[in-house]
Amino acid sequence: MAGPLDISSMSLQRPTVEEGLVAEEGLLERVCQGETSLGWLAWSPTDRALVMPRRHERLAGFPEARKRLAAMDWPVLFRATGGTPVPQSPAVVNLALALRCRVGGSAAHLEWGYRRLGDPWCDWLGDLGVGDADLGPAPGAYCDGRFNVRIGGRKLVGTAQRWRRVRGCRDMALLVHGAMQVDDTPEALVAVVNTFQAAIDDPQRFRAGSHVALREILPELPLASAIPNLVERLMTWRVPLEADPER
Amino acid sequence: MSTAITVPEDLREGDNEGVITAWLVDDGHQVSQGDLVAEVMVEKAQYEIEAPAAGRLAITKQEDEVVAKGTTIASLDA
Repeated sequence: MAGPLDISSMSLQRPTVEEGLVAEEGLLERVCQGETSLGWLAWSPTDRALVMPRRHERLAGFPEARKRLAAMDWPVLFRATGGTPVPQSPAVVNLALALRCRVGGSAAHLEWGYRRLGDPWCDWLGDLGVGDADLGPAPGAYCDGRFNVRIGGRKLVGTAQRWRRVRGCRDMALLVHGAMQVDDTPEALVAVVNTFQAAIDDPQRFRAGSHVALREILPELPLASAIPNLVERLMTWRVPLEADPER
Repeated sequence: MSTAITVPEDLREGDNEGVITAWLVDDGHQVSQGDLVAEVMVEKAQYEIEAPAAGRLAITKQEDEVVAKGTTIASLDA
């Protein structure tokens, strides 16, 4: 990357995986410090890595798995959000939102956080002509959860969060992140995660058929103009007032 | 006097359990109010848990243990 990341730019940034992860942490910290109540970052890495929460480091087979992945030019890196291993590569576009939220009231924050990212994402896909985008689980997908953005039941975007107290008050800062496979085949990325699974002696294997890449559905989509439109939707999306902890 | 450190109840709906993903302070160490002491993961969301008071940390739930909302995971002895 030629210079520092342009945080809260509308454009897609091109850092390394490590730089992107650091920038997302910085985004959350700015909200925690009270410098802003909303920040965002759209990025796609120039290199690749298998990214996972640090707790995986405690697995018995982790050192060997890390070596095996490194030998395949897939270094292991750690992220601040939850979940399980996810491949990051130039085929993936990431979008992160950092928000300041009130605690209490009727809003259910975890679910609200996922909808705050996922609903406008589905809306964006709908406007591009994708009629069957929704949020839900994708059994057989790696890093599966209840709030993937799906197309036809297949996982397009994996989502995860991190919550931290805002300094000196009861408010919380939320970082909600989505990783969307745009290019490459699901088989290629699933194979990387399954290699890790084998190396740590975990019998669970993931299925390429549970994933979808955006180019399979929209092969001609001009990303340079489409991503700023997605970012704008995410920034300006409002949920009903009675359920809005940003209010 | 002892103060309980509990898994927050007001950050999610439902009864989904979480897991303690990290203790950021060693058992028996002194902490100040507001220090980050632990991380809990629920549904791919990591929550940072702060010390609600100053005191010596006594951990009762270990890393990778499954915990429900409101569970006491440690105490702080002043």
